[in-house]
Amino acid sequence: MPEAIIEATNLRKTYGDVEALRGLSLDVHAGSLCGFLGRNGAGKTTTLKILLGMMRPTSGEARVFGRRVSDSVASIEIRRDAAFVGEDKPLFDYMTVQDVIRFTAAFYPQWRQDLEQYYLATFGIAPAMKVKTLSRGMRTGLALVLALCRNARLLILDEPTSGLDPAMSEQVLQALVRHVASAETTVFFSSHQIAEVEQVADRVVIIDRGRTTITAALDDLRAQYRRIHFVFDDDAPAPVFRAKGVERMHRDGRVLTVLASAGAEGIVEEGRTLRPVSVDVVPVSLKEIFLESSGVEG
Amino acid sequence: MLWYKAWLETRWRFLIGLAVLMVFACGAVLDYPAIARLNASVSTIDAPGNLGRLIREAAETQRTYRGFIWFQWYRQNLVQTWTILAVLLGSGGLMGASSGSALFALSMPVSRTRLAGVRGATALTELLALAVIPSLLIPLLSPAVGEHYGLGETAVHSMSLFLGGSLFFSLAFLLSAVCDDFWRPMLITCAIALSQTLVGALAGLPFSEMLRVMSAESYFRAGQIPWVGLGLAVTTGFLMLYAGIAIVERRDF
Repeated sequence: MPEAIIEATNLRKTYGDVEALRGLSLDVHAGSLCGFLGRNGAGKTTTLKILLGMMRPTSGEARVFGRRVSDSVASIEIRRDAAFVGEDKPLFDYMTVQDVIRFTAAFYPQWRQDLEQYYLATFGIAPAMKVKTLSRGMRTGLALVLALCRNARLLILDEPTSGLDPAMSEQVLQALVRHVASAETTVFFSSHQIAEVEQVADRVVIIDRGRTTITAALDDLRAQYRRIHFVFDDDAPAPVFRAKGVERMHRDGRVLTVLASAGAEGIVEEGRTLRPVSVDVVPVSLKEIFLESSGVEG
Repeated sequence: MLWYKAWLETRWRFLIGLAVLMVFACGAVLDYPAIARLNASVSTIDAPGNLGRLIREAAETQRTYRGFIWFQWYRQNLVQTWTILAVLLGSGGLMGASSGSALFALSMPVSRTRLAGVRGATALTELLALAVIPSLLIPLLSPAVGEHYGLGETAVHSMSLFLGGSLFFSLAFLLSAVCDDFWRPMLITCAIALSQTLVGALAGLPFSEMLRVMSAESYFRAGQIPWVGLGLAVTTGFLMLYAGIAIVERRDF
């Protein structure tokens, strides 16, 4: 197992009466491209801000590169090795592209000028342009240039493709994948776009209402999650399965549907004792898994 | 680069303020011959009450060139305009929390203390320049109206304005650490500052003491630099700056 670049244990964050994080735990391993999924208000942005020292957790602990994020000195060291792209792509609007690049590069001695030229050309951004005049796509492109060229070991991206057209989204995702492949960078990115997470991520962390519901490799999720349909010749029974992995059951007339997160064979075996007329086992998409783990009826 | 960023954030407020103050300084000197003629033609001012007393004192003070410059420039135009600029440069500026660019600045490998400290130091340097540069025009232009104004006097008044008035900058800086917007710190500090420098002076209220310190009235009248008032203002201002930076260091963004 590669080393954990990000580790969070039982993180809690409250704003007055509102609990944004309620004991969130997760880990992200070196070299992975980890998607961070959750509904609006699930606590994704709060988690990312805590990892970068922009917020302090109410309780619990998080470490990045083994350093405690709530230690202000350690947090500076974390940011020396990590890059952040915020959801709204916050930049200094009063600067030119060249200015904001010079400003950022000044903090990173390992700045990659070759990548800077390459990505500026890829995203069609002229150095003399004012940041405030950039289109949404160009702004995202510039934010990525600033993140990728600093040679960071970790990229933390909050909704990197939000508001972009499909072509630009694809360009951004491809840039990320290429970069990870060439620079051995770890990427932790939040997204609402399940399809894009499926496209590029090798691991996913799904959270719901401030708690982690799933942390797993995407391939493992695809291999383990199954939907099992038992069809009976009369009304379906309401069994209690002893086998582990039953996430949800649903009865509809003669059909009993079981969503399994693991051990589908054992559940099928146990279900056959109820004498169904047929049993059908089908794979489950990440979207269905996400909806299930977020408590949304599929 | 943090200094460059702070300069870019404040340069228009500074440059416009500098231009306005330089125009005012030229106007103050070049207006003197007309005001002197007007003063000479008025023998007595017969107005009742507190306002009448203030008008008589003002007219009496301005019978000399030194008195005219102190009253028009150091006690009115400069102190009021500079105070507004101090509030503008102190407001909203810690890191532009509400604009979102704060997140970009905070993602850099630099401490919040340094981010806020550089921002504050840049604005204070600009305020020092705003207190000194326009005032230097007074001794430079005085020969044009056949008068002389000492550089030493200019230095004492400029430094008194800067040291005393930085209190308002510090208050705006502190409020900006608490509020996410530009307007609330600016309006609250402006209200307090104007009540000190303008309304307080007109009404003769005791809290216009701040105006006396900023304009170094004791130096003008008796050659005594207001050390106690300046010391208190600097100490209070430092504590407010310290508190502002401490709040930035602890708060969530």
